[in-house]
Amino acid sequence: MSEPTNPFTPVTGKKPTCMEMLQFILDGQATPEQKEYFRSHMDHCMPCFKSYHLDMAIKELVQTKCCGGEAPTELVRTIKSQIAQNIS
Amino acid sequence: MEDVVRQHYTDKEKREIFDHEFLPHINSMYNFGYRLTLDRDDAKDLVQDTYFKAFRFIESFQRGTNAKAWLFRILKNSFINDYRKKIKEPNKVDYQEVESYYNSEDVDRQITPDLRVDALKDMIGDEISNALNALDVDFRTVIILCDLEGFKYEEMAKILDIPIGTVRSRLHRARQLLKEKLSEYAKSMGYKNT
Ligand SMILES: [Zn+2]
Repeated sequence: MSEPTNPFTPVTGKKPTCMEMLQFILDGQATPEQKEYFRSHMDHCMPCFKSYHLDMAIKELVQTKCCGGEAPTELVRTIKSQIAQNIS
Repeated sequence: MEDVVRQHYTDKEKREIFDHEFLPHINSMYNFGYRLTLDRDDAKDLVQDTYFKAFRFIESFQRGTNAKAWLFRILKNSFINDYRKKIKEPNKVDYQEVESYYNSEDVDRQITPDLRVDALKDMIGDEISNALNALDVDFRTVIILCDLEGFKYEEMAKILDIPIGTVRSRLHRARQLLKEKLSEYAKSMGYKNT
């Protein structure tokens, strides 16, 4: 089986490193082809496999624990009335 | 700098834009304000001020374009101009260094802090939020913009007025620092990180 072509565009013009690929995935910038490529890359790259799962777990934790919930209702009210006053 | 094409809106249109394109982002804006100032009252002031500015400058906003990125940029600028001066936080981070390290070969050989996914499962309280808040404000910011708000590199570059390469290096360093903080927590919770 031949290696599929790497869909990651290297920033430097060199072959993209594991770290560059992983960051692209983590940062949510990867295309479906890049994600697919990285998935099969992880099958034979243990460091990527480990880092990916840890980094994604942290990212998910940030998403669930740091989203802050809703803005205070009184803030929304203040903003709305401030704008109402500025429109005659 | 992009050319600002001034739009002409009637009061009714202004109202529509404000209600349907600006206000729906209020929760994200409030969280961003809080993560920048780390103070609920300051966050309220900052968000209120941002919406007021957004309304005043509404004619430089083009309907149907990325309102969220536009609002985030105003908030970030207000923070820098009005708040950051007040907080006499010495700038400890050498961003030039962050970037040159990122572009060096060493970055691939860096030591990943020992931390296991298992240890994260027990961080059900404020650990992660505290760890994030403990990062320098510029690192905190990129994590929020990327992980919570899902902005693309290009959008982040515009919001923060920095090149895309800097966005990438800053995000990379921010993730690394966050991991280090969490690894310290894990150790204090008695996890042996091997
Ligand atoms: Zn790899």
